Amino acid sequence: MVDPIVMDLGIVALTGALATIAGAAEDLESDVGSQSNPNSQVQLAAQMNFPHRIFNKAISGEPPAYGLWCASGATVASVLMAKEMSIFFAIAIGSFVAAIILGLFSVTAHMGRTASQKRFKQPVYMDMVLGHVPSIMAHGYIAIFCIVAFSYIMNHFMGHPFPLPLLAFLWGIAAGAIGSSTGDVHYGAEREFQNQPFGCGLNAAFSGNIVRKGEAGLRNGIDNVWACAKFGGPLTGLALGMTVFLDNWRTTVFEGMNTIIAGLIIVLILILANRMVEVKARKAYGPYKDEDGVEIA
Amino acid sequence: MIDPITIIDPITIILITLGGVLIGLGVHFIPVGGAPAAMAQATGVGTGTVQLAAGAGLTGLISAGFMYNNLAIDGIFTSVDYITVVASGAIGSMIMISVTMFVGQLIYVYGVGVPPVSAKVKKDPITGDVQDLYVSRGTEGHGVPTVSFVSGTIGGLLGGLGGSMIYVQLMEIVGDPSNMAVVALAGIFATGVFYVNAVLASYNIGGTIEGFHDPKFKRVPKAIISCLIASLICAIIAVPIMGGVV
Repeated sequence: MVDPIVMDLGIVALTGALATIAGAAEDLESDVGSQSNPNSQVQLAAQMNFPHRIFNKAISGEPPAYGLWCASGATVASVLMAKEMSIFFAIAIGSFVAAIILGLFSVTAHMGRTASQKRFKQPVYMDMVLGHVPSIMAHGYIAIFCIVAFSYIMNHFMGHPFPLPLLAFLWGIAAGAIGSSTGDVHYGAEREFQNQPFGCGLNAAFSGNIVRKGEAGLRNGIDNVWACAKFGGPLTGLALGMTVFLDNWRTTVFEGMNTIIAGLIIVLILILANRMVEVKARKAYGPYKDEDGVEIA
Repeated sequence: MIDPITIIDPITIILITLGGVLIGLGVHFIPVGGAPAAMAQATGVGTGTVQLAAGAGLTGLISAGFMYNNLAIDGIFTSVDYITVVASGAIGSMIMISVTMFVGQLIYVYGVGVPPVSAKVKKDPITGDVQDLYVSRGTEGHGVPTVSFVSGTIGGLLGGLGGSMIYVQLMEIVGDPSNMAVVALAGIFATGVFYVNAVLASYNIGGTIEGFHDPKFKRVPKAIISCLIASLICAIIAVPIMGGVV
């Protein structure tokens, strides 16, 4: 007989694993379609006389957008489950419906935004719409499926009181917030500006001057996701996975006030880890100016 | 007939308003650099104020909802239970924001190659590290230095605390944690009040803030007054609606 705590920890680990996949897919979806903060540069590029072939869709901030997709998917899944459909197929169909909504919003957002830049001579490339939207929907589908799935696990197996659509809505917002805070920095500060020296922030004077030429031909959103999948995407997955796992772990293993103490210890460890990374970075990269304020790097 | 005092309980309204004010205050602690930070042009996390605060606070709400269900399901909900629930919400929120800032930091350091630095102070008030020499040209700082990180965790604590307080107060009006309609209504109201206060605070911040050491933090009193008024209105609407579910 398996010890119940082992079973519970297995469920917690499963939620963490699903969240890791969801986080990575969420960030990569926003890189293909260029959503969130780095898209300000894609939008600006055409206005600065740099027409490009990067997909431009800022439907909204990522958290509300993912709140909507996940709540839509979870609502459809809940209805299908209420009609006694199998859980797996209900979540799969719910996620598919949400991915279609994401695709619809992507097309309208991209075409509306790009058409509004006619005066800056930014063309609407129809082949880009056809090439990017399926990839956006595919990444979105994976993210939504995983978020709805771990929300279902939390609701059904872990006994969370929130109904599935509300839980998926809240986790969708959290996933969007994490994706927009972590992986998008890799896309915005590094991939969009590989024409600038590595090891510094983007000088405001170069705003809008995004890289427009790819490894082969002109760069597009799919080229961007290829690069971001190597670092930004996986780290976003790690962030969402850690959030879901650590929060569920402390409430599964401990009880009452001990969950609070365990949580505080986790936060303290993260503060110390952050400090270690900070010290290491300062030592490794050194200052940009000497003590007299003269630039040395 | 339902007693009007039960429906419009002043203590509940005051505590919900206090929760809203805590959220507004917490948002000011969270280091957000908005779109410029996503290009390593400003210190803080590379997203919007509302986005990050809501993401963290609502993660706290999920934790608080879980804890409330565990403690209140037997029909007895003591003051200690109350503290445990709101503290659990605060910790859930702190974990989310700490993990996000830490992973964001890894991307700044290893993906972009910049040291974390504040452009608002010459020395980090916590570590004493020199800051201005590490700011790259044409930027307003980058990454999440220790002072901003600590400030962010305080912001998560306050946001999670406020959101959880609102949720618990709304749940206590009905006192039936097994009723899914009540749970859903309280959860969505708490989310709504959270967004109202986060948006108000973000107007006060005006895009970017590095944390409690940022000069913009002095604008907090204005936010407290606005959040107080907005949360009071939200509470006056929410409490009778929840009471009407009984």
